[in-house]
Amino acid sequence: MSSSILRLLAIAAATAAFAACSARAPTVYATPDYHSWQRTTNVVLDYPIPGHQDRFRIPRMNAVGFTAAPTMVNGKRRWEFPEGTVIAKEVYATSRPSPGAAPVQLTIMVKAPKDPRSQGGWLWLTRDLPDGTETVFMGNFCITCHANANEKHPYGDGNPNEEFRDYVYFVPGEGAPAPSR
Amino acid sequence: MATRPSRGSSLTLKVDLLLIAALALGIGAVMAAFAVSLLSFRDQLTTESLKRQGDDHFVAVETLMISGNAPQAVGYFTKVNLTSAATSIRLYRRDGTPAFSDNSTIDRVNQRLKVQRFEPQDRPPVAAPAMPTPRFNEAAGFPPRELFFRDDQGLALAGGTAYFRAYRPLINLPKCTVCHGADHTVRGVIDIRSDVTPIVKAQALTIGGAGAAFLAVVAALALIIGSFLRRVVLRPVQAVGRLCAEVTAGRFEGRVDVRTRDEIGVLANTVNTMVGGLRERFELTKYVSASTLGALTEGQEPRRATRTLMFTDVRGFTSYTERRSAEQVVGVLNRLLEQQSAVIQANGGDIDKFVGDSVVAVFSGPDGANRACRAAIQVVHLCAQKPQDCDGLTVGVGIATGSVIQGMIGSIRRADYTVIGDSVNLASRLCGIARGMQVLVSDATRSEADARFRFRGPYSVRLKGKADAQRVWILAGGPGGTRS
Repeated sequence: MSSSILRLLAIAAATAAFAACSARAPTVYATPDYHSWQRTTNVVLDYPIPGHQDRFRIPRMNAVGFTAAPTMVNGKRRWEFPEGTVIAKEVYATSRPSPGAAPVQLTIMVKAPKDPRSQGGWLWLTRDLPDGTETVFMGNFCITCHANANEKHPYGDGNPNEEFRDYVYFVPGEGAPAPSR
Repeated sequence: MATRPSRGSSLTLKVDLLLIAALALGIGAVMAAFAVSLLSFRDQLTTESLKRQGDDHFVAVETLMISGNAPQAVGYFTKVNLTSAATSIRLYRRDGTPAFSDNSTIDRVNQRLKVQRFEPQDRPPVAAPAMPTPRFNEAAGFPPRELFFRDDQGLALAGGTAYFRAYRPLINLPKCTVCHGADHTVRGVIDIRSDVTPIVKAQALTIGGAGAAFLAVVAALALIIGSFLRRVVLRPVQAVGRLCAEVTAGRFEGRVDVRTRDEIGVLANTVNTMVGGLRERFELTKYVSASTLGALTEGQEPRRATRTLMFTDVRGFTSYTERRSAEQVVGVLNRLLEQQSAVIQANGGDIDKFVGDSVVAVFSGPDGANRACRAAIQVVHLCAQKPQDCDGLTVGVGIATGSVIQGMIGSIRRADYTVIGDSVNLASRLCGIARGMQVLVSDATRSEADARFRFRGPYSVRLKGKADAQRVWILAGGPGGTRS
């Protein structure tokens, strides 16, 4: 009787220990230092776009992303961002936020082509700013819109040669660094 | 004692219920899993198909609209609807109104471009299309969502129509914003509705058929296994139960007729052997006193107790045997002993033993003396009432009351639970000197007997083995009859 109880307790303890080891902390891609990441464009993104309306936006990219360099394929530049690239786009409440205002939303692209959740080689996430939780966006809304980055589009230089820009509208080297905020 | 199981507690019923429950749960779980898997597979296939269709139509609409070929888009939708009666495709603006139903979009684009880029079309009046479902706003909201859901109109099996429906939002892509502006995220929603009624009906038939087959299999298995269990287990067990009930009622002639060699067969053989043993023991009880049988259950330790002893003896039996054949002797003696035994037992006495033509009986309890006296009167009257049964023989009786030792007397191979002591010897001696049809009782017995009995005496007699003369009484009459 007592040995049976001990055995059950041992199994319960092992199960709890296993569960504790299995419950990994969620990965945070836009690390706390993302504010120090370099902006991807000097264009002031205060014009309305579908998906973000007319909210002011600041896209930043980690150092991994800035190692990307275009290759020439069939006479066209082709951009492939390396795995580990993280682009965090701060979205503010209005098109002209006051100095010192905090963003209301953070949308994130993570180059992770091996991740089964990736679309176009990227994970598309949103961060819940109050608690910092990042959630992978499983719909195709993000990539549908960003697929236009690989075609002619109305933003930045407009990608007139329809280069493959790996779903990123503002690739490095396009324009001067934006004024710091 | 209950010999039949009560309604609801029958083992047969329990086994049947258990079988049906086990089969229903076991096979039912498989059937349920099969049905769920089938439905899930259908839903998955249909959803994937609708998703692919949605993608295809999205690309087509995007391609046509970017190049400004709205009329071709209209034609495209018309042709798609014509090619498949089971599938209908509609395009709604983000406000839920049907696309291409008027020139409002063209007007807004031209206004935005500040040129007459697109000519207003001569739109035929559009028959009021089915309005989108309340889920439309979910698809056209922010963030836009692709939705796949059932939109049945009535029960498919009752003449209704089963639809799978998909809402595929058309995103206002950056390249679209040139004409349509960037102040909205969703341009419209493609509504694909697929009639899956034949599939649903076919599945219902499949599941219904499988369900019927399941019920048939359950019923057949329940019948087969139940019949097998009844034949192999339940009936033999019931036979064992019936035999036990017969044994309880004192009938030992039956036996369980099971010829199998399995556990039930072993049980039946064991019960048959047990009943045989019980029958032998039952027969043996005829040759053993009630006190001996009682000692087997109540304990065999020797003890002192007050008892009334009654000895009877057939007077002149020895000379009688010399004049009669053995058959006659045994016949008369057995009749006498049988009649005496009946009288003694009727008066609550225990026949301790038969010794030749003598009977030794023990009467226990506070009124043992009364019962012994009553039995004695009836015994000596037997031959007077039926002299032909006694063939002229008479019986003398001696009764004594006093302390005796009761216990198992004998060897470990053969013993009797009997009484020994002075009162036993006294009763025997009194019987020895009693004349035919005379009942001699000791002084102690006379003192114990109640006033209804009449005694003559006392007489002082000297008995063998007794140093002093004994006070003896002749029982003259009482409740059992009258002795002169």
